[in-house]
Amino acid sequence: MTKHSDDIIIASQVDKHFGKVHALKNVSTTVKRGEVVVIIGPSGSGKSTFLRTLNQLEEIDSGSLVIDGVDMYARSTNINHLREDVGMVFQSFNLFPHKTALENVKLAPLKVSKRPEKEVHESAKELLYKVGLADRMQNFPSQLSGGQQQRVAIARALAMKPNIMLFDEPTSALDPEMVGEVLDVMKELAAEGMTMVVVTHEMGFAREVADRVLFMEEGALLVEDTPENFFDNPTHPRLVQFLSKVL
Amino acid sequence: MHAKQRAWLWNSVFVAVLIGLCFAVYSSGKRIDYTWRWDRVTPYIINTDPLSINAEYTGTVEVSADETQLILTPDSGEDPIVITDFNVLSVSDGDLVFEGDTLAEQHGWRIGPIVDGLIVTIEISFYSLVIALALGLVIGLMRISDNPAARKLAIVYIEVIRGTPLLVQIFIMYFFIGTVLGLDRFTSGVVALSVFTAAYVAEIIRSGIQSIPPGQMEAARSLGMSYPKAMIYVILPQAFKRTLPPLAGQFINLIKDSSLVSVISITDLTKAGREVVSGSFAPFEVWFTVALLYLALTGALSLAIQRLEKRLSASD
Repeated sequence: MTKHSDDIIIASQVDKHFGKVHALKNVSTTVKRGEVVVIIGPSGSGKSTFLRTLNQLEEIDSGSLVIDGVDMYARSTNINHLREDVGMVFQSFNLFPHKTALENVKLAPLKVSKRPEKEVHESAKELLYKVGLADRMQNFPSQLSGGQQQRVAIARALAMKPNIMLFDEPTSALDPEMVGEVLDVMKELAAEGMTMVVVTHEMGFAREVADRVLFMEEGALLVEDTPENFFDNPTHPRLVQFLSKVL
Repeated sequence: MHAKQRAWLWNSVFVAVLIGLCFAVYSSGKRIDYTWRWDRVTPYIINTDPLSINAEYTGTVEVSADETQLILTPDSGEDPIVITDFNVLSVSDGDLVFEGDTLAEQHGWRIGPIVDGLIVTIEISFYSLVIALALGLVIGLMRISDNPAARKLAIVYIEVIRGTPLLVQIFIMYFFIGTVLGLDRFTSGVVALSVFTAAYVAEIIRSGIQSIPPGQMEAARSLGMSYPKAMIYVILPQAFKRTLPPLAGQFINLIKDSSLVSVISITDLTKAGREVVSGSFAPFEVWFTVALLYLALTGALSLAIQRLEKRLSASD
């Protein structure tokens, strides 16, 4: 993809309903290239839904989304092509259980990008090495711990060489002692300059890594601020209330 | 120790019941004064009787010097007939023979009508299985499609086929559709069986696909895979593994249901059995043999699928 502008994600007035539930209310924000944005909010606040609209796993009712210069809902947009540019990591890992860790990472580059087997093999090994799983490549997901599975999932998303990475509560399904290893990989990615949008309950990660923190409640984006202001000088009454419960 | 003893006891009960059943069959045969003649059935399975080769025309015989070739020159002036496939000669060089005379005998094993029928049953079952699997996959995918036309067509297909008897479908396929399209009996039988089984396969595949967590499709799509690619590389391989046991059951049913095509005069195992009964006057033996052969077929299939299941379970 060519570099169009510094704003890699432009969401304007994104609105979505699930039946009678108003899941997203006029959400507008922009994410700059290389920025790490963390979205925080109570469950059911629409933060995961908003994240999932960014690669059209959820379609929006109205508003517009421009991803890396491409209008997602333009007639000429090929959504599969756009998704190659947006990697996603899920709460429940969603590794392909019938494939080994290595095959999980190789599948999309081989079948979607049609890159040559040899190159894909090498880069997949490199990615697994990077997430610290060089010795578990031939293991099936069922033979890996939750933390290991999530790291394979990150490697799998990175294999498509995306410009944006979306993380949907990547550590929520993990045992506490495995949260660290996944967050470490994410911090490394952030340090490399990857554009990341992260939905999480890890306040420590938000404070340490995020360039900006978003607070959502009941489908509305209420606060958008730097981590310092967000955590140390919250002004919005709903945010103050929320932080008093979680911190 | 206690549990082990109990297992012994109940295993003995199992064997005793089996022996009891065999005895019951034997004694019911005795009660109706049935004489078991298994030897009457064997020629219909494998025939070891020598086969006599008869002269098709009246003519003169010419035998080669090493007695491996026999040439019959018809008196009517037609082309000479060359016979080489025989073991014992019944004529000598220069003999004059009449139509129907025995020229030579051929020894060795020949397959009987029951095995012929078995082969037809295997052929019908195999073709139907392959077609049913392909057709069922298509119908199953249509069934879960977002497209209302595809979805509703699939539902109508499944409901119509599952709601009518296979026997009636075979008649309709042969007498109506077969006549319109000019299909022979074998093709009609295969098509009827495939269409019937595909309806069940479609439902099995639909439930298999729907049993895969939606996160799998989302993960595949998030990597940029199109819907068909996600299906082929991610969903279907997993669904296939889960649907193997019910598919095995359906294909075993298919083999058994193939016996119904005998109503449109396809000489499958069942029809061969019926024909042999009237020739051998040994109905009990023939039907037991036929049943055993079906059991061997279904058993082999079920064993093959179990093997496949084991191989696919490597990732569990």
